[in-house]
Amino acid sequence: MTRTEHVALKGTREGLVLYLDPAADFRLLMNELDNLLKNSEQFLQGANVRCYAGKKEFSEDEQENLTAILRENHLELAGWLSTEEVYVPGKTQSYANEERDARLWEEGMSEGRCLFMERTLRSGKSVQFEGHVIVQGDVNPGAEIIATGNIVVLGSLRGVAHAGAMGNRKASVSAYHLAPTQLRIADLVTRAPDDETDGRGPEIARIKDDQLTVEAAGMNGWRGKAR
Amino acid sequence: MGEVIVVTSGKGGVGKTTTSANIGTGLAAEGHKVVLVDTDIGLRNLDVVMGLENRIVYDLVDVTSGNCRLKQALIKDKRFSNLFLLPAAQTKDKTAVSPEQMKILAKELKEEFDYAIIDCPAGIEQGFRNAIAGADRAVVVCTPEVSAVRDADRIIGLLEASELRNPKLIINRLRPAMVKRGDMMDISDILDILAIELIGVVPEDESIVVSTNRGEPAVMDQGSKAGEAYRRITRRIKGEDVPLMNLEVPSGIMDRLKRLVGIR
Repeated sequence: MTRTEHVALKGTREGLVLYLDPAADFRLLMNELDNLLKNSEQFLQGANVRCYAGKKEFSEDEQENLTAILRENHLELAGWLSTEEVYVPGKTQSYANEERDARLWEEGMSEGRCLFMERTLRSGKSVQFEGHVIVQGDVNPGAEIIATGNIVVLGSLRGVAHAGAMGNRKASVSAYHLAPTQLRIADLVTRAPDDETDGRGPEIARIKDDQLTVEAAGMNGWRGKAR
Repeated sequence: MGEVIVVTSGKGGVGKTTTSANIGTGLAAEGHKVVLVDTDIGLRNLDVVMGLENRIVYDLVDVTSGNCRLKQALIKDKRFSNLFLLPAAQTKDKTAVSPEQMKILAKELKEEFDYAIIDCPAGIEQGFRNAIAGADRAVVVCTPEVSAVRDADRIIGLLEASELRNPKLIINRLRPAMVKRGDMMDISDILDILAIELIGVVPEDESIVVSTNRGEPAVMDQGSKAGEAYRRITRRIKGEDVPLMNLEVPSGIMDRLKRLVGIR
């Protein structure tokens, strides 16, 4: 999926869907759309696009404008989608302007922007990122990671980790060796138990029933051997 | 062309100055031309540890600000004619020198000496930035304490950010008996976090206190355990492959056997 602040283009099983922020100004939308398409991959060319802008309705002029921009980028406007068509039935969306966040929620934090840190974060290092953070190394005591999405550490997590920093309770923190100074997910805070034992294997922390819980990562049979 | 090695730690009191003095003296004892540079402006100690405090006329700030020539400020050691000290100024502060000036000085020292050992002040501010500015290599000193390890970790991060890659680690003031009882971090605990190459472990040794007060580095004391550790570190800095000193309090079958035979 590619997106800018107010515009998102997403591939679904039924084809491309263009999300337009209903709250945003039309000219701004078109500017962003133009940039988005110009920076997109070539393989999008020739595809049909269906648009979705919540309950907002565009005037004829605006629709023509939109069609023109899409055509300039070799895309065809194939129609408009209603809220019911975009979202799975049963999950009601009450506020149109929350759609951008809503989409992330719907996906259970399973996709989005990622930051890869190909090294160990030492004391004093702070990483803040809008999206998921993956550390290919350790996070030492005194270092902190703050991410709006998930945090994955392919090593020892001994510093501070805050996942879902903007309040997303579906975020998780996982590490090969999970022993953080402090662990935060959304608005919940916890710290590692004092009787820390080594070699528990990879673990995932997430929120279950308003409680921060830690459980072994599902790596059947591999745990222990990998160490 | 010589090499500039900075001895640093982040935390104070872990033994940077003692380590600098011992490595410098050790290298000089092996026949190299060595200069020790004290960059702890305002809190100079290296001259005391070397027993040279009453010979200071000019200092580091005099050299970098052009008040004197480098040769005038260098103090020849009591024991080795190939060992020199460039003392820090005591009446100024860290801002009296800039990293650029240190780079120029380091270049000058490298032409004259085989090794320039820079004793870094504690902290991560300008004193630290001055000390590492001209360095080619870094040695991080750490004691087996959580706070020292934390600071060393930060320092290693800062060194890497300043393109001083692969710093080497010296663990100082280790008490093998305490480690064995589980009351002190052991070497692997420290290496687990810092993850850099270990070039020496110096045991806690009362003789260090004596030698520091006398101004005679322990590395020259053949009977001192810490001195032996520093001699090995010196050789490892030169690139030799020397095994780590055996500090372990023997245990298990070997221990019982030895006790049986009466060695212990």
